[in-house]
Order: sequence, then C-alpha cells, then structure tokens
Amino acid sequence: MCVEWMTMPESQTLSFGLQLQPQSRMVSIVRRFVEESFEKIVGDPEAVFRVSLAVHELLENAAKYAVGDKTGLSVHFESSDAGASITLTNQTTPKHIERLRACISEIQASEEPFALYQKMMRRSFGIQEESGLGLARIRAEGELNLSLEIEGNTVTIVASCSPRRRMPT
Amino acid sequence: MSNGWAEAVNENDFAAQATASDRRIQVSLTGTADLTVRTQLDQFLREVHSEAKRCSAEEVTVDVRRLEFMNSSCLKSFVWWISTVQEQADAGKYRIVFVSSPSVYWQRRSLNALACLANEIISIQA
Repeated sequence: MCVEWMTMPESQTLSFGLQLQPQSRMVSIVRRFVEESFEKIVGDPEAVFRVSLAVHELLENAAKYAVGDKTGLSVHFESSDAGASITLTNQTTPKHIERLRACISEIQASEEPFALYQKMMRRSFGIQEESGLGLARIRAEGELNLSLEIEGNTVTIVASCSPRRRMPT
Repeated sequence: MSNGWAEAVNENDFAAQATASDRRIQVSLTGTADLTVRTQLDQFLREVHSEAKRCSAEEVTVDVRRLEFMNSSCLKSFVWWISTVQEQADAGKYRIVFVSSPSVYWQRRSLNALACLANEIISIQA
C-alpha cells in the first residue's frame, strides 16, 4: 500500500491518495485509517463517518469485482464546509461495468434515496449476486452523490457532496 | 433453559454469541462485521432463527453497542433474517430488539433502515 498525504491548514483542506491491492482484509484497515486520521484533524465525527462509510463500501466493491492488482483511492475533505469527495479507480469486467452503470443510473435518477435504499434492501432478499446495496447506502446514509466514469475496462466512481452545502448533523 | 447454544463466532475482528432463556434470546455482536465474516454471520443468524423457532421465542435482543461497523453485505444478512421472520405465520413471529449506541454513527442510520423494513417486529433501544 502506498499512501500520499497533502494537508493545507490554511485552506483547511485534507487530501490523501493511495494505491493498494483490492483485498477484503484491507478494507476495514483503510476505513479505520481514514476515520482515525481525519477525526484528529476535522473535528466533525459524523462527517468523517460518512466519508469513511463511502471508503469502506467502494473499496469492498473493488475487493469483490476488480480485476488486476491495482486500485486507486483518493479522499479529499474540506473541513471548513465539510465538502468531500472520495474517488476509486480500478479495472473490472464488462459484466460488472454494465451492472455498475445500471445501478448508479438508478441511484442518480432517484429523488428519494432512502426509499430506493429500502427497495434495494428488499430486492436483495434471497439474491446472492451483486445487489448494489453498498452504493445505495453511500447515497442514502452517507448523503453523498455518486458518479461513474468508464474508460475501456477502467471504472472510476466518485462519491461527493457539494463544498457549498454543509453535511447535515 | 439458559445456555449459549449457538456456535459462537470469533474470527478476524468480529465476535458473535447468543444465549437463550425463557423464550428470550440474547445476541451480542462486537468488533467489525465486514466481507471477511459475512459467511459466518449468515450461518450464525440462521442458527439464531432456528433456535427462536424451536423455543417459540417471543423476543430476540441484539446488542450491537460494541459493533464498530457493519458493511452492506452484512446488512443483507440482517435483511434475510428480518424478511424470514416477517414471512412466518403470526404464531412463529418474534420481536427483534436492537440495543444500540448513539455514539456509534453507523448504527442510527443503518438500524433505522432495517427497522423500516418491518416496523411491526423491530424496535431500537438507544
């Protein structure tokens, strides 16, 4: 795992990026790293939790569906107004790309994220294949917007909230 | 009857245990419930449900106060359990009570989402 930190106290911006092998046992380690590091600096534990929730769910998606041994994660946090973005990039299969595209389109189109989250929970009952529940959770519980970029077999998912809007407490 | 009948789980950074007494079952989950323990949590909840049916349980209390985090895969395990209890005939249904900690941020939102699936059988104590 390779970590790069950037802290700019004057603008109250905190960023880091890392490259790691997408392994399930790494996911909680990285989430804790984000939580513990950001809590010390940001002082808004609920906002930090929402970021760490997105980190966990996105990394877990990579652990389950990425191909290749490189996943890139970057986190950007604006502590003055709690704007945040979490970006995850990895390679995956065409089948997973299509499922991601459909899932994120459904989430983006929904005006009621919590209702969609509930619907996806019910839909997941008895289904073993991917449900998209982690992405719906980022939107509903983390109150972060999701976007998807696709280039060949490389996907980039961005979870973000506007810097102009403070995360609700 | 008062015993720890369910196969306790203690793997990675996750532990689960259950005891039963007088048609009430007490479940305790601690640590981190993530992808590495999903299969074990599935199996554990199936055992809890089987025991609840066997002893005609009135209530299962799930103490998650020391559960640091639960991922969406493990939430799906709870969706399975809750949906399965909902599908029981009235005589086979039992209440599920989550005992939560307000200081653990995932719990308020995630447990509320689970409770909304089945308000008639789920309650949350904070």
